[in-house]
Amino acid sequence: MHEIFNIFIKSIFVDNMIFAYFLGMCSYLAVSKTVDTSVGLGAAVIFVLGITVPINYLLNEYILKPGAMVWLDAQFASVDLSFLSFIIFIAVIAAMVQLVEMVVEKFSPSLYSSLGIFLPLIAVNCAILGGSLFMQERDYQTLGQATAFGLGSGVGWFLAIVAIAAIREKIRYSNVPPALRGIGITFILTGLMGIAFMSFLGIKL
Amino acid sequence: MSTDKKEREPMFSAKNVKLLTSPLNLNNPITVQVLGICSALAVTAKLKPAIVMTLSVMIVTGVSNFVVSLLRNGIPPRIRIIVQLVVVATLVILVDQLLKAFLFDVSKQLSVFVGLIITNCIIMGRLEAFAMSNKPWPAFLDGIGNGLGYGLILITVAFFRELFGSGTLFDIQIVPQSLYNMGYVNNGLMILPPMALITVGVIIWVQRYYNRSLIEK
Amino acid sequence: MYTNGYIFRYAGILVIIAAALLSLAAMLLKPFQERNRAIDKMQGILASAQVQECTADNAIQLFNKYIVEEQVIDPKGNILSSYTKSPKEDAQAFLIDLKKENYNKAHHKPYNLPLYIAKKDGQTIYIIPMLGTGLWGPIWGNIALKSDFKTVLGVFFDDKSETPGLGGEIATPKFQKQFIGKKIFDNRGNFTSIEVVKGGIVKLPENQRIHGVDAISGGTLTSKGVDAMLRNTIKSYLPYIKKHR
Repeated sequence: MHEIFNIFIKSIFVDNMIFAYFLGMCSYLAVSKTVDTSVGLGAAVIFVLGITVPINYLLNEYILKPGAMVWLDAQFASVDLSFLSFIIFIAVIAAMVQLVEMVVEKFSPSLYSSLGIFLPLIAVNCAILGGSLFMQERDYQTLGQATAFGLGSGVGWFLAIVAIAAIREKIRYSNVPPALRGIGITFILTGLMGIAFMSFLGIKL
Repeated sequence: MSTDKKEREPMFSAKNVKLLTSPLNLNNPITVQVLGICSALAVTAKLKPAIVMTLSVMIVTGVSNFVVSLLRNGIPPRIRIIVQLVVVATLVILVDQLLKAFLFDVSKQLSVFVGLIITNCIIMGRLEAFAMSNKPWPAFLDGIGNGLGYGLILITVAFFRELFGSGTLFDIQIVPQSLYNMGYVNNGLMILPPMALITVGVIIWVQRYYNRSLIEK
Repeated sequence: MYTNGYIFRYAGILVIIAAALLSLAAMLLKPFQERNRAIDKMQGILASAQVQECTADNAIQLFNKYIVEEQVIDPKGNILSSYTKSPKEDAQAFLIDLKKENYNKAHHKPYNLPLYIAKKDGQTIYIIPMLGTGLWGPIWGNIALKSDFKTVLGVFFDDKSETPGLGGEIATPKFQKQFIGKKIFDNRGNFTSIEVVKGGIVKLPENQRIHGVDAISGGTLTSKGVDAMLRNTIKSYLPYIKKHR
């Protein structure tokens, strides 16, 4: 339990997807114009990361890893399907995103109208695939740890995008050089926030 | 046959050439469309990886645009994202496997980029925005053009980061030793990822200063 | 326009084609890839022993020339098997999967350690293969020790996905050259490993500098990975080293 909590906190602040690994930048920069929309996208990212990381964990553990298929039969001990992991992870992510889109559309049209437009964007968000690949690389021991990591990374991403959106709302009233307005100043701001977050780097919990 | 030819567009009509050139400036994937940022941060600490990445992305966007454009009429819109991702990932992994078997040295150089290429949103962005609604040949040109525009920014950023961060270009010492003796120090901040963001920000500043039409209100 | 049946059929056919293509490629190309991987491993081992003339074409031949013995040892320092015949790439030590052994070690299960012994210009060289984790993925390498088990003859590092120009610099000669001549034991015989020092070895006291190298600026986490890999791997070999020193 202690371990799971540590992983959760660490993936929010220390291993922040945006500021430590710079993953998922495209939608982060493009959709952070107002706080409202970024809350929507951030929530969708938490949701998708929270679902896909555990699913991919199970797939990796029981199908893809070298020797993972032993549970079926001892003769599969030498089977190594890890070359398929990229494509399987991506397929799971895209399928989950599409599934979520369909389910939300059917059962909650109001949620769909506020969240729906962001869902297709998420499939191409590299933070999502990054989450699954980090999970595979770091060899989490239990499903609980993998889930904590997925959710934590999502929350970290959520915090980052809401923070930059709030700054961008304020900066609209500042005297920014015309050529830097909008995306230009956002790049520079993100860079500065990234430098600040570097002080968290390497902290062990 | 001759009538058939007259109706067809020439291979490099003005419109098609524009597909190649507009991503270099007015429709640049990084500075205007804001696509493919993650990889731009990861590979621009040195010039060499930036150029390798540019070439790979150019080829992958070109070919995947072409393939998806061929398939475009059969793809059910509901699952188009899965289809696009599967096509891109299959292409990239296949090439990676072939390189590992026959050109191992090249594959070692490229292995870092495989994951970055699949998740590069330029590829997905162009598939969505262009290949799904255009013929294969223009789609191919659009892919190559966007790859070039992406590479232009990548190489510019890498040039400044390597020069000021390491004092080298292509790993060859450029800043003379005498300057170091006088007390010059490499700017270690330049090789950290956040500085890539700030460099891109400055490039956007310069670009929009000369292209007023791009300025956001 | 598109029925559910069509969507499922389309997706199914696409996935089957993609999976078939990839599996076919993986199956057909596996022997070539494995041969390349073996050659790569040999090149790494020879590079740490400072065999300069090694290329992909002559790696197998040179490996058989320089490596005289391959041992599998246990964590207590006992030699489980020793192999001196040719071809050297069939030896048990060469086939050991470090990932599996590291996993067993981390889970307190019994594990084996490979060791290569080379003879070059009349001196005996002990080469220890290593595997660790960097920032983004696995890093690996070899450390070659002189016959006193104390002085580093050379090292070799490589990585799968460290950032080019930052952490990826561990694979360059510039970083690896620093290790030559460093000591992994102090004068009293205590194990010190080689510390990868952030900010440079100038930060260390004068008498410690023989046990340290400069970390890569901007590649702190990868440098830490190298440091941990060296320390953890050599530690497992200490009983063996004490017995044979």
